[in-house]
Amino acid sequence: MDLTGGFGARSGGGGGGGGPYREPIGLESLHLGDEFRQLVTTTTTTLLPPDNAAGSFTALLELPPTQAVELLHFTDSSSSSQAAAGIGGGDIIITPSPPPPPLHSFGGGTTLTFPSNSALMERAARFSVIATEQQNNNGNNNNNETPTSSVPSNSSDRVKTEPPETDSAMENQSLCPNQTNRSGKRKDFDKKVKSSTKKNKSSEETEKLPYVHVRARRGQATDSHSLAERARREKINARMKLLQELVPGCDKIQGTALVLDEIINHVQSLQRQVEMLSMRLAAVNPRIDFNLDTILASENGSLMDGSFSGTAMQLAWPHQAIETEQSFHHRQLQPPPPPPPQQWPFDGLNQPVWGREEDQTHGNDHSNLMAVSENVMVGSANLHPNQVKMEL
Amino acid sequence: MSTYNMVKQEFIKKWITTLHMLDCSVEHPLNVTERKNAIKLSSDIAMAAARSGSTVWSRALISRSGNKTANKPVARRILKKARNRLKNRCLTLRRNGNFTAKSGVRKRTELLKSLVPGGELIKNKDYLIRETLDYIVYLRAQVDVMRTVAAVDSVTGNLTNDNK
Repeated sequence: MDLTGGFGARSGGGGGGGGPYREPIGLESLHLGDEFRQLVTTTTTTLLPPDNAAGSFTALLELPPTQAVELLHFTDSSSSSQAAAGIGGGDIIITPSPPPPPLHSFGGGTTLTFPSNSALMERAARFSVIATEQQNNNGNNNNNETPTSSVPSNSSDRVKTEPPETDSAMENQSLCPNQTNRSGKRKDFDKKVKSSTKKNKSSEETEKLPYVHVRARRGQATDSHSLAERARREKINARMKLLQELVPGCDKIQGTALVLDEIINHVQSLQRQVEMLSMRLAAVNPRIDFNLDTILASENGSLMDGSFSGTAMQLAWPHQAIETEQSFHHRQLQPPPPPPPQQWPFDGLNQPVWGREEDQTHGNDHSNLMAVSENVMVGSANLHPNQVKMEL
Repeated sequence: MSTYNMVKQEFIKKWITTLHMLDCSVEHPLNVTERKNAIKLSSDIAMAAARSGSTVWSRALISRSGNKTANKPVARRILKKARNRLKNRCLTLRRNGNFTAKSGVRKRTELLKSLVPGGELIKNKDYLIRETLDYIVYLRAQVDVMRTVAAVDSVTGNLTNDNK
């Protein structure tokens, strides 16, 4: 049975993505939930009589089917199989416990993986999105006690800071975890050998100083080289800890090599999943630009909090009336002429750039793709309107 | 959860754009493999564009995709634009010859470098780990979005089939 396989499966790359956003996919819940319940009830009834031995699985089966389904959903969400994820995400939605505040220990040793993973993803996303920001908290989880509530408010202001600041910001960011790490260690160790001139009170002012302030512990070399080396190792270890928490199942592993193994496996599995998913999407749809009508047409559209559908619809609907005729006309001509993209309502900043692109790379439409990526890197591009509704 | 959702929203916006662009530029009909490649290409570009910042992997990914679309001047222009943002990062690839690592950590580090786009260019292990962290977050966002779209897609496909 598919369910038995999913029950014992090790949580792979699919575990992290399991959680919160998958809840209200209303379309799935129509058909899949009933099948799932039937499957589970048949499983429980057939398997229960012959195998009554002790064991977590059979004990599970002794429960009434609904509870078994709930528990199975939890473990299904932590398995990496796509089919199980597709089915399990459908009807039986158990509202997960709200993700714990980012500073508490993760997972709490429970079998539920997705609350911890969602908090992890949140922190990791914040870590990377605000990588240009000066943040003190994400580098060291365990040692730090300052609240992260200040970080989101900063992020909204600072996400748009100019990238030229990144240099100093990166340095500061690498310095800050080091500093807070040091202060954390200071609480543990009473005896210290102060290194030559530097004081540690500058931990609050770290953002302004380009130096690394390092305090040597008792009995360790105070050589400048070894201090720098130790600082570098501390940085690496701090990042490795964060990586460890990001990749599921890495917390228990000791040793850098094995942790790196896990990370490599995780990245490989994610890349393979992308391949498989794109193949699946290609197989289902006869055309490439499928997902506009599927996303916008589905009534929930709640791929995420629900704010996405609002955004996408706002961006798409105003342009629909304008573009449908041209795109229809577009279809009839092979190969399509370059002019239609010029009518995209880019803001004035991007448009001259676009015009230049058109002149220089006439005839190869792949250039438009790269130009678009350039534009989207420069500023925000508006959504291309939904052209399929007209043609269906 | 809002930051991760922001990541996913960014990715979706860019992905829709790139999908449309790719669809306009390629002749129909396509077989499954070509479609898959197109989808994957567009989603990679969208992911890298969503992380339009100071990461090596995003720039490397765009340059790699630029080679696939066989239009080098445009790709180079993008790289130059991105390169101006960070002057300190060295983007030239240095050949190390046939040096293969024997010890565990070193070997795995090199394997990781081969996985993360642009990883071979990073000399500092600290930066490599930071890049990997970033890359994992965005890769996971990509997988999440694609999986949801595929799920919604299959269901709507079933519904329309039933109606016929």
